[in-house]
Amino acid sequence: MIKKIGVGLLTATVLAASSVLAGCGNITTDGTVSNENAEETKEASGDEGSGTNEEELVLFTWDLMFPDEIIDGFEEKTGIKVVYSKFDTDEAMLQKLSTADGGDYDLIFADDYIIESAIKEGLVQKLDSSKLENYGNIDSRYQGQFYDPEDEYTVPFGAGIPLIVYDPELVDFEIKGYADLWNENLTDSVALVANGRVITGITLLSMGESMNTEDVATIEAAGEKLQELAPNVRLIQDDNTQNALLNGEASVAFLYTSQVYAALQENPDLKVVVPEEGLGFGVIAGFIPSKAPNSEAAYQFLDYILEAENSAACTQYVGYYSTNTAGAELIPEESAQLLVAPEGKSMEMVENVSQEANDAYNKVWTEFKAACD
Amino acid sequence: MLGTQQKKHGGKLWLAVAPLYIFTLLFVAGPLIYMVILSFQTRAEGFGVINEFTLDNYKKILDPVYLGTFVQSLKLAVISTVIITIIGYPFGYFMAKCSPKWKRRLMMLLMIPFWTSALIRLYGWMILLQAKGAIYQTFHFFGIDIAPLKILYSYPAVVIGMVYALVPFMILAVYSSAEKMDWSLVEAARDLGASPAKAFVTVTLKLTMPGLLSGVILTFVPSMGLFFIADILGGNKIVLVGNLIQDQLTRGADWPFAAALAVVLMVMTSFLIFLYRRVTHTTELEGIL
Repeated sequence: MIKKIGVGLLTATVLAASSVLAGCGNITTDGTVSNENAEETKEASGDEGSGTNEEELVLFTWDLMFPDEIIDGFEEKTGIKVVYSKFDTDEAMLQKLSTADGGDYDLIFADDYIIESAIKEGLVQKLDSSKLENYGNIDSRYQGQFYDPEDEYTVPFGAGIPLIVYDPELVDFEIKGYADLWNENLTDSVALVANGRVITGITLLSMGESMNTEDVATIEAAGEKLQELAPNVRLIQDDNTQNALLNGEASVAFLYTSQVYAALQENPDLKVVVPEEGLGFGVIAGFIPSKAPNSEAAYQFLDYILEAENSAACTQYVGYYSTNTAGAELIPEESAQLLVAPEGKSMEMVENVSQEANDAYNKVWTEFKAACD
Repeated sequence: MLGTQQKKHGGKLWLAVAPLYIFTLLFVAGPLIYMVILSFQTRAEGFGVINEFTLDNYKKILDPVYLGTFVQSLKLAVISTVIITIIGYPFGYFMAKCSPKWKRRLMMLLMIPFWTSALIRLYGWMILLQAKGAIYQTFHFFGIDIAPLKILYSYPAVVIGMVYALVPFMILAVYSSAEKMDWSLVEAARDLGASPAKAFVTVTLKLTMPGLLSGVILTFVPSMGLFFIADILGGNKIVLVGNLIQDQLTRGADWPFAAALAVVLMVMTSFLIFLYRRVTHTTELEGIL
């Protein structure tokens, strides 16, 4: 459910840069560029200073997950060198971790559903929360979730709640929930993120069903309803979806949290809708692989980013909802409404489902995309 | 004396060629074999595959939803190839008739775009085609009021991207064929009373046919696989086999199915190349290989 991070920041800078370019519209950078070479890039490290026995932390996550000040601050405080190793997709991460048999990496941040798989594969070690002084800062709403029901393995880092954002100048009615996306006035003007489970999920929510139903007939019914959405769809894209809204390609968009944040920073007049049918959410969490070479350093890093101040810095950098109660209090008022999740809404996570149901979801999604043409 | 020399020479040659063979075996044949094996394996619950023989992955392709992606890919490839031929053939033909100076210049113009990543160039198209992109801005600059464009994220946008990405291959193939042509044959046909059109059809077209056909192969085959164009310019609404494979490798989490799709796609394109060889009786693609 959570998508590449830092997209917002990247876009913001690129948009700013491109608007200088003689009003040629907006240049978009896009994560698909990096899809081409889903390579993990280890920064030069270790070997070059073989003389000194410097302690290292191999951090494995998406690009742009941590601001420089946090990495530098940690290195300064502990004297441990951070080796930032990157992946593009959760699946690539699990593949590499599995090849390394749970070794090579000290600390990994990834999406909830893939962590569940990693735990099942025995690639994650149990966490000793007593080693984390700031463990109490974690927002309990994000604990005890499906991927780690007893909180034995993970520390949440951020949460994503995809929301509807629209341009009130281009839409002549008030959008209140998912069902409004089907409105006939929105022909060819809706932008959607390209996550099949999330889009099928909101369709199910609009039908009063669970996002995780394993009943094939219900999934197929959702598929039929999705087909009716097809004429309204302008584009389906996972990276920088907010650009479609900003440059006038679409008037309504269903966006990941970081994209909502990026869109509003660019155009504060956009309206954000917290859908009345309920919310879907996902969690990015950190875990220590089963054979991490330096798990002590991993604990130190986890504890460091759990500190209220550091957590707030991370949250404002990545643009995801804070999963840290103490940190959330330090987030300035104006961004807080986008970075601290609303209370009192029914929330459901997209969970892994049975193979049969997964096949049905896959099929419904392919069918829907083909129908949009 | 001669025999031993040859033998000696042959032995050394083998050493020089061996790395290439080993490289090819490891990095070309290896992954292909792995892919074929994977396509017969069973997907594990959750993550990974189980080493259990199954044909289900291939059966799944017969599902109309997935079969449709093959139809969609073929359709797009045919449309693109036809347009590319219409643009590329005359271009290559007239380029061959230019003076050497202009040949060099035109060749340069064809080559320059290749210095930049294809992806970056497609983003250029995005900027042009955007609702209020460069084309729209240009119209407004000259005081012509047009509605925001709705080209991006549509079928025509994908076709534009395909044609743009592949047209140089057609031009180069036709050019190399036309350049080698003996123009005196055309002159002879004209002298013997053929109209320009007839001379073209009976002489020029026939002689440049190998170039045209290899151009068709060089555009048709890759256009079956250029899924990222449908992704970027089509807003993911045109589902090609490539897009489906990508989906299955990521969140779809069904690698064996992805492998089966890739195998079928590969067989299809290999068949086209086979057909090309049968028709033209050549083993090489004119001009390029």
